[in-house]
Amino acid sequence: MSTESKELHSTEEKGLTKQETQEERTSAVRTFSPYTDITENEESLIITMDMPGVKKENVDVRLEKNVLEIEGVMDFSRYENLKPVYTEYQVGNYVRRFTISNTIDQENIAASLDDGVLTLTLSKVPEAQPKKIPIN
Amino acid sequence: MYGLLSNTLDALLALQQGVDYAKGRDYFGENTSSRGVYPPINFFEKEEGLVLIAELPGVKKDDIALEVKDNLLRISGERKVDYGEKASYHRRERRDLTFDRTVKLPFRVDDEQIKAEMNDGLLAIALLRKEEDKPRKVAIQ
Repeated sequence: MSTESKELHSTEEKGLTKQETQEERTSAVRTFSPYTDITENEESLIITMDMPGVKKENVDVRLEKNVLEIEGVMDFSRYENLKPVYTEYQVGNYVRRFTISNTIDQENIAASLDDGVLTLTLSKVPEAQPKKIPIN
Repeated sequence: MYGLLSNTLDALLALQQGVDYAKGRDYFGENTSSRGVYPPINFFEKEEGLVLIAELPGVKKDDIALEVKDNLLRISGERKVDYGEKASYHRRERRDLTFDRTVKLPFRVDDEQIKAEMNDGLLAIALLRKEEDKPRKVAIQ
């Protein structure tokens, strides 16, 4: 996709589940919602997102007032000077927002990016981890 | 799939299925491509050949096999998504995929000069036309 086709586009996050907030924003580049998996194990919540073409230094993970916002900025330089002949996927930035609850330890969020897949590990606050209750 | 809906539960389930189906078909325009053919490939023209870029997030170089013959290019491989036994899912949009896709090109490929590289989940393949398939200039008398 040519970089000349930048357009002002309002991105709207559709409120799909109670975990996402609805907000409108404008940006100079088309943005997409990356495919995400959210899984939970005993100690943490793991969010995995598909963001092909985004480099580690171009990912912005921000936590503000219980809203976790992830933005991956596409590196358009690899598409420069290439004329599209037939396209099956679109190119743009990736944005997604989640509302997280108090059971997440907000100081302890780890993130890593490998092969275009961003993995966020959100540790649960110790009180929220399931405790086994022994029966006497 | 929509048949006769005999009770409200069926109507709701059909609606759920319909929305899931539409989400996978890029109806809402949220994702970079619909869930049809995999992997989605963009073809770009460059001087004497083509550059193919495929979206393959989470797939390692060693899990992809590339083959070329005349004017056919074959990309195959697999990606596994596994979170272990103790994980419980809240949301699952990414899928396990085994893919094997053959693409027909408009020219025969020069076998000696193919370059492929994999960066950040994008596979880029640069192909050049075989010498015999290069266009020849025609002089007009």
